[in-house]
Amino acid sequence: MTANSSEPPSRTEATTRADDSPLVSVQNLEKYFFENDSLLDRLLGSDPVAVRAVDGVSFDVYRGETLGLVGESGCGKSTTGETLLRLQEPTGGRVEFDGRNIYDLGRSKLNAFRRDAQVVFQDPFSSLDPRMTVGSIVTQPLEIHDVGTKADREDRARDLLERVGLSADQLDRYPHEFSGGQRQRIGIARALALEPEFLVLDEPTSALDVSVQAQVLNLLDDLQDEFDLTYLLISHDLSVIRHVCDRVAVMYLGELAEVGPVETLFEDPKHPYTRALLESVPRASTDERDRDRETLSGDVPSPRDPPSGCRFRTRCPQVIPPADVEDELEQSTYRQIMNLRERIEAREITLEEVGVEGSGRSENDAGEATLAVGEDGLDESEIPAFVETMKDRLLADELPAGHDEIVTDALAELARRNWDGAADRLREEYESVCERVDPALEESGDARESGYRRRHPVACHLYGVGADPTSETQIPSPSSNADAE
Amino acid sequence: MSDEELLRIEGLCTRFFTENGQVNAVENLDLTIDEGEVMGIVGESGSGKSVTALSLIDLVESPGRITDGRIWFRAPDIADELIESGADDEVTDGDFVDLRKLSEEQRRSLRGSRFSTIFQDPMSSFNPSITVGEQIAEAVEVQRRARANPRSLDAKAQRYGLGDYVLSTVLPSKKYVTGASRDRAVELLELVGIPDPVERADEYPHEYSGGMLQRAMIAQALAGEPEVLVADEPTTALDVTIQAQILDLLSKLQAETGMTILLITHNLGVIARMCDRVGVMYAGEIVERGTLEDVFDHPVHPYTRGLLGSVPDLEGAGGRLQPIPGNVPSLLDHEMPDRCYFADRCPKAMDECLEHPPAFDVEGSEYHTTKCYLATTEYTEEKALPDGYFDEAGRAADVGEEPSETETGIGTGTDSETETETEADSVQSDGGEPR
Repeated sequence: MTANSSEPPSRTEATTRADDSPLVSVQNLEKYFFENDSLLDRLLGSDPVAVRAVDGVSFDVYRGETLGLVGESGCGKSTTGETLLRLQEPTGGRVEFDGRNIYDLGRSKLNAFRRDAQVVFQDPFSSLDPRMTVGSIVTQPLEIHDVGTKADREDRARDLLERVGLSADQLDRYPHEFSGGQRQRIGIARALALEPEFLVLDEPTSALDVSVQAQVLNLLDDLQDEFDLTYLLISHDLSVIRHVCDRVAVMYLGELAEVGPVETLFEDPKHPYTRALLESVPRASTDERDRDRETLSGDVPSPRDPPSGCRFRTRCPQVIPPADVEDELEQSTYRQIMNLRERIEAREITLEEVGVEGSGRSENDAGEATLAVGEDGLDESEIPAFVETMKDRLLADELPAGHDEIVTDALAELARRNWDGAADRLREEYESVCERVDPALEESGDARESGYRRRHPVACHLYGVGADPTSETQIPSPSSNADAE
Repeated sequence: MSDEELLRIEGLCTRFFTENGQVNAVENLDLTIDEGEVMGIVGESGSGKSVTALSLIDLVESPGRITDGRIWFRAPDIADELIESGADDEVTDGDFVDLRKLSEEQRRSLRGSRFSTIFQDPMSSFNPSITVGEQIAEAVEVQRRARANPRSLDAKAQRYGLGDYVLSTVLPSKKYVTGASRDRAVELLELVGIPDPVERADEYPHEYSGGMLQRAMIAQALAGEPEVLVADEPTTALDVTIQAQILDLLSKLQAETGMTILLITHNLGVIARMCDRVGVMYAGEIVERGTLEDVFDHPVHPYTRGLLGSVPDLEGAGGRLQPIPGNVPSLLDHEMPDRCYFADRCPKAMDECLEHPPAFDVEGSEYHTTKCYLATTEYTEEKALPDGYFDEAGRAADVGEEPSETETGIGTGTDSETETETEADSVQSDGGEPR
């Protein structure tokens, strides 16, 4: 427990045990789940498909702080929480707790770790055994770890119940007699029974109503002060994160997008994803209706086949075009071309029935003329009509002359059923640095040297490191002038 | 937004008759909705907001039943027709008709064409074994057939019987869904922003993401070009970025079609984003309603204040949240005292609150009303109920106690005699009500 950072803590008010070594250090954690991996599948020779739930995540949790892990459903935040407690075995990476890799721990050491690190689950209805009384639920961890006599354990349970705001005489009741908020309190009491140092709170309030949520958040805050706890709070609710956390890590599709102090991250978000996420949350105030916000288009891609490079590039409103394209195309036009290419690469465009107006080819039921691209492609004579129709259908904007030509070429390839040719033609001209290089989670600028509480690394090419120098033009964020402090 | 009333709900009561007793899910609820507005209802789980929506479209299922109240809906054509056929004042009131007095067939014919609903969970609202396009086309077809015979209300609800079904599977030409309705389905999918609607229409619900399914459900709801769209927690199952997309879509569609939306949600942010007026529900009643500004900027009812105070603020810095103490009350009839239902959690409970408050108009705004004595009386220390007044009763209710204990709790309750009397009285009168 020695300070391994040369910097003194930037703020002194923080913790009583202020030192700069992290309590939990997650390094390059990977957790893949495999589909088609049964014995039968292997006999049939089909390859397992990896679902990359957590794909190389690194962060530290320091003593006495609350680190928030935020992201949309399916981004891997809960899997991260479970894996770093070794409730799931990782596929790669290491997690150090108090300096020791928890995946190397032997049986007795692992038991000790499990006393020090506990978890509170999301759903207070399914995480409590309906056939056990509250007393036995809360004393069970003590029994398993063989702590004290039966009488001691019951005293402790009474204590804990009082401490979480229930009454000690409710010890003999069953979970169904309690409301959701009260059950969550029981879950918290159980997690605290072994006097842990570290708690993973996995969406602890998302099943609760707001008024009860506020009670539980306040309780967690009090308990942290009282027992010197360190929290990892996993949540999709940004306002909860803002309220409770000291630092925040934003997760997208199995990777971290940005990590930073809560104030800085909310006031001056760097990653376009964080920005979009913050903008999307409707505020509970009367100004909300007039607030302009940009919504993200599209859905989160599948973690089975995540996009190359930056995972967010398929939805990013600031994807970086090649330098020569940048001045000529609007971001929205560039995005349309990118989407077109993506669909060509995924072979998602239907060629069997392409409507063409005002031409006398075969007609379908609705009376529209259609072109059908057969096995060998279209006749050369029909290609221009095909290209025009496709442009109408797939691109909303008129392209400037030079770019129009390139897209026309590509679509002509498509008319010949040359999918790869079409995709290559577009890739040649429009490939973005965002798809070639996966941006690392790196500190930019002078903050690199400061203490952990101020570090604000971000995984985005807009912020310099590792970006293609020719395309390193940064679109200023609306709040980038604001003082980060 | 025009100021003409479209819907007027008066004294609506919906009850569920369960094994544990009668649940008063909606209790004497009054509400008016103007044409073309977005009306929001906000409340916590169990406050009765969804049941209100279901009551409106007559989808309350057994053991629930609408026991009282009137739902006036402005429909001049139907009103005329009813008057022609000799209906009396009970059923019509000017251009308005009482939906509860219409026949089952007539009400059925209104669903889809006048009222439409989108539900919370898009995944379970679609049939997984039929393509999305076909399911939307089906809705289109139902509406088309209803419209083909506009004069007679009875003819509107043409049945699709077993015979038709068997024929449609055997003879392709007898297919329920026609080419025209399928084309319309594709149009609707395009309208709600689904890319490649032609291809997407042939996909099954599991091939859609949650946000896309919610869009498809909106498309289905729009099939009959409804006047009122009831949206019951339309974005609760979705992530924030997708929620933003869906809310934008609803705003866009509302602006284009001018339809009226009743939006039900627990999310105050969604209310703030979407609604012109809002009603706050607690324990089956609307405890406060008014324009968005009335309710958000000048709340009177302590519950509204509490609700607004317990939302963590995304913009501002930390500080302690101000939760509402206690839990959402049980709605079992025999556990509902005849007092302000919020009094036991209220920081400003006073003597008056032991009597159930009527709706008071709040000064300063036309629409602003609240069921709280604070609208007319100042809160003073002298009138305050003593600390822990409701504790005995409250704790028993907290853990979902058996009714008997609740009553003993109240009986042995407090040390202040006068109040014990009032409380005991209220329990009696409550018990004396017809069940």
